Amino acid sequence: MLEILHKLGINTPDIIAQMLVFGIVYLILSKYAFGPVTALLEERRRRIAEGEDNLKKIRDNLAAAEATAEEVKAKANAEADRMIKEARDTAAAAGESERQKVAAEANAIITKAREGSELERARILGELKRDFSRLVLDATARATGKVLTPEDHARLNTEALSQITNN
Amino acid sequence: MLADSVFLTSLVSVLSDAAAAHGGEAHAGGHGGHHGVDADAKGLFAGDSILSYFTNSVLVGLIVVGLILWFVRGAMKKVEMVPGRKQNFLELVVEFLYKQVENIVGPKIAPQAFPLLATIFIFVTVANWFGLLPGVGSIFVLRVGPDGHGQAPLLRPATADMNMTIGIALISLVVWFVITIRELGFGGFIHHTFGPKGGLKGALKYGLMPIFIVVGVIEVISIIFRPMTLSLRLYGNVFAGENLLHTMATLVQTGNAAVDFICSVLLRIPFFLLEILVGVLQGMVFALLNAVFIKLSTTHDEEHGEEAHH
Repeated sequence: MLEILHKLGINTPDIIAQMLVFGIVYLILSKYAFGPVTALLEERRRRIAEGEDNLKKIRDNLAAAEATAEEVKAKANAEADRMIKEARDTAAAAGESERQKVAAEANAIITKAREGSELERARILGELKRDFSRLVLDATARATGKVLTPEDHARLNTEALSQITNN
Repeated sequence: MLADSVFLTSLVSVLSDAAAAHGGEAHAGGHGGHHGVDADAKGLFAGDSILSYFTNSVLVGLIVVGLILWFVRGAMKKVEMVPGRKQNFLELVVEFLYKQVENIVGPKIAPQAFPLLATIFIFVTVANWFGLLPGVGSIFVLRVGPDGHGQAPLLRPATADMNMTIGIALISLVVWFVITIRELGFGGFIHHTFGPKGGLKGALKYGLMPIFIVVGVIEVISIIFRPMTLSLRLYGNVFAGENLLHTMATLVQTGNAAVDFICSVLLRIPFFLLEILVGVLQGMVFALLNAVFIKLSTTHDEEHGEEAHH
């Protein structure tokens, strides 16, 4: 047994020396490498989990906000439709009333214009009759060379006017 | 007094394995000549002083520790939430190892067991890979002492020294014991080791008690032998790998230096790749076995019972 130990070079001081070598690296790595790194990894895991939670919250909030926005949009659309319909109805009613008003006004203007035109025609016709009578009397007086009496005037006027009326 | 017993060791030669292969010199240790790799680590200082225990494998152990601590210092110099390349790599390793440890020992024990298991994995892996670097086993120093002189490799893979593997295994045993006692208490540990298992009750429990006590004794023996089995497994694998590489380096000896050199390089390439794999595998096996030991000893009997019911 001792011979085997000797052949393999096993001896207590060397074992202690090697234990010291390994012990040093074990203690230093435990304290200055594994501890901080595992703590860092844990911190990072915590942050990632937190980030994921936040992301989930944000997604939920976004979904809720989108749902609310959709609801508001739908409500606004309905309100807008209602208002548009109302406006259309009001506009249609106002348009009809205006149209009727305008038509009435137009009719009144046309009637007035017709009446004006009739009066003007009558006036012009009166003037024409007078001028024509005067012309006829003048022409008759010049043609006959005699002074016409009021009876002649009346008779010639009647004839001339009947001619004009007939024409 | 130090000067009386310890003689300055001097670097006498840098010899490649290939050169040693056809050189035929018989060195006092290392990869020289046809003797293969020595089974034991050599002291770098001759004489009987305490420095004579400063072996080439202790030196490599210290270098490996230095390398690991240098890298860790670089990675942890400026710790930030958005990590740099080194910090990122360290975090990757730590996170990967922590998950593996947590899967085996459970989330409750993982924080206690992780530092030991991660250190074992990292140290053993780096030490194994360091042994594959050129110069390890092929740079020799002259040891001069009152009992004569000889040559010894300046560097020897730390895990190819039984003292190192026993050292790691003993520390693992101590940490295992501390974690177990912290978890179960001393009484709980005795009960866990010698007590009835499988949720037995009544007469059957008392009837089978002697068997459980014998099983407990066997368990204690296996615990005592654990450091030996762990250390021999690691040592055997790494030492065998060293021998394999040495054998491949010296396999072809035609007498033509150029041919011997080319053959020694080409023949070793696949085995170097194999040793890279073996290096990480051995680190994993050593850590994994310790994780299983911790898991077995810290599992409460109720859990055993529940698992048995499932």
